[in-house]
Amino acid sequence: MTNDTPNRILGLLLVLPALAVIVLLFVVPLASSVVGAFRVNGGFGFGNFIKSYELYTSDIIFTVVIVSLSTLLIGIFSIAIGGYLVLGENPRAVAILRWLYRWPLFIPFIVVGQVLRTFLAKNGLMNNILIEVGLITPLQATSFLDWRGIVIAFVWKQTPFVALLVSGAMAALDRSTIEAARNLGASRLRILIDIVVPQVATTLMVGLVLSFVTMMSVLSVPLMINAQSPTMITADIAFRINAYGDYGVANALGLISLVASGCVGWFYLRQTLRERA
Amino acid sequence: MTEVERETTIMRTFLHASLALGLSAMPAAAAELTVMTAGDQNMVDYINEYLGPLFEEQNPGHKVRAVGTGPGDAGSQKIVERFDAQAQAKSETWDTDVAVVHEKFVGPLVENGYLDAYRDRISSGKLVTRSNADMALGTNVKGYVMPMFNSQTALAYNPALLPNPPKSYEELAAWVKENPKQFGYNGIKGGASGVSFVMGWIYAFGEGDANKLMNGPFEEAETQKWSAAFDKLAEFTTNATLTPGNAGTLDLLSRGEIAIGPVWVDMFYSWQASGQLPPEFKLVLPAPGMPGQPMHYVIPEKAPNKELAEKFVELATSPKVQAEGIVKRFNWYPGIDAQHVQAELDEETWNKLFTDVTPEDLTSYGKPFPITPFNNAILEAYERHVTN
Repeated sequence: MTNDTPNRILGLLLVLPALAVIVLLFVVPLASSVVGAFRVNGGFGFGNFIKSYELYTSDIIFTVVIVSLSTLLIGIFSIAIGGYLVLGENPRAVAILRWLYRWPLFIPFIVVGQVLRTFLAKNGLMNNILIEVGLITPLQATSFLDWRGIVIAFVWKQTPFVALLVSGAMAALDRSTIEAARNLGASRLRILIDIVVPQVATTLMVGLVLSFVTMMSVLSVPLMINAQSPTMITADIAFRINAYGDYGVANALGLISLVASGCVGWFYLRQTLRERA
Repeated sequence: MTEVERETTIMRTFLHASLALGLSAMPAAAAELTVMTAGDQNMVDYINEYLGPLFEEQNPGHKVRAVGTGPGDAGSQKIVERFDAQAQAKSETWDTDVAVVHEKFVGPLVENGYLDAYRDRISSGKLVTRSNADMALGTNVKGYVMPMFNSQTALAYNPALLPNPPKSYEELAAWVKENPKQFGYNGIKGGASGVSFVMGWIYAFGEGDANKLMNGPFEEAETQKWSAAFDKLAEFTTNATLTPGNAGTLDLLSRGEIAIGPVWVDMFYSWQASGQLPPEFKLVLPAPGMPGQPMHYVIPEKAPNKELAEKFVELATSPKVQAEGIVKRFNWYPGIDAQHVQAELDEETWNKLFTDVTPEDLTSYGKPFPITPFNNAILEAYERHVTN
């Protein structure tokens, strides 16, 4: 066609604003942060990474372990919720669960942090209830405001998100496979693990990868629940900037958490590519 | 971008937008005075609800607008970065008339030549003689700042659990060993009361000269003398309860989870006044002392309404406002010398401020923070020894 070239230019022009926004607001700041991580006293070097390693190794390990553990728990709970919504036999219980499980989706992380801070404290609501009921004595009450508090906050907040995706995918499955398994006498647990979960595995992975990356970037929860030692990388980044005005080490820590998220992303991409191949 | 950077950028965009709107909407004759303040929401409220209306009443036609930049050092850091940006852009007039910043940030602002030396031009300037209005963590800032208030950290304790509180760091260390988890502090990442406790620890147990830490000059060799003190602090911390933040310490105290912990004196009194802390709780300032710090009013060299800005600070540091606003409303120690403020106050209010921590205690045990390079070195050494 003769008007192919003008069309192509028009297409480029149409895409240009969006491209410019991405370059200016995302690529440029990211690049400057990456470059900043290697900038030491005017020159370039690995000083910021050495300092990050010396001061924050335990925090980096802590972050990865905490977020991985949370991701695992989120996976288990969202499969359980999605599974019950699809396979549950009591319609009333299914309706109640369907109505309830989405609530945390609409609550910001900072509010989750604040709610759990009063709920999980040593003399907080949870322990008071347990003591009232007689399950524990006041002396046995311990504070959960440490790594456990962070995990609880993450799982509580992110499970609905993954469960929403997973239950949607489960509902869209061809029910004949489920019915067939049921006719052959498989238990509901067996159907969930052997029939349903393998078919929604991709959706589950997407949800978990997105949750992992989201949790890596949360600052409010570790600050409110456990700003102690060890803490999450985000709290260290904030501290580097606020206490020392030191953007170098903050950038280095940012790059390290980017690499951690990147690994998960890479794993996910490889998985999807293999499936498509 | 990290979350903090993103927040900063968003906040900047908002500030720019709101400033542009504010400036364009301004009537020709009347000026709008922009007061930028670091600190908690209470600082913004103080200006919006008390100081601003008072100033507008005395200077009809003009308006005061307070902009909060966030709590803690982070808030002051934002103001510094804002000034940096306007200096680098070579702006003729800046967007700030008066700024309220933490002590740590005044030195760099003066050294960069951003500020106006206005103290001798206002009448309340001669009511300040305390040394921290002349020197800010090792930098000479005489003439450039007026202290808004002085605040102090001390140990708050629950007399029901601890009738005879430790009177020194030495006694505290021994007590904590026998009573594990009964002492709580917020480390160094959850607010300045924990930082202050750590600085006091180094004053008490560091092998170097504490006075050199407070007055300078900075020497690298001095930073090597803290190892034993930090080892001791690391062991101490395993027997302590770590709290989430300044408020977290007060929170745990009020619920009886800990018996003693470092707090800001003003926060302690405010919580007591609002019923969040039982009235029988008390304060003790341990030997050899804990740090406190002033917040300062500064005026940028290129402020758009300099004359009005000076008038504003003059009002804010007048004995009457210091008595009514600073001492009575917020339980802060006054920024100007105490004797000028005492005359404006009834005895009860005055005594309340000095019941547990007497003026003598304050003179002997109220210390400044270390100068900035030592301050940073101590924080980093804490991260190296205690938290990693």
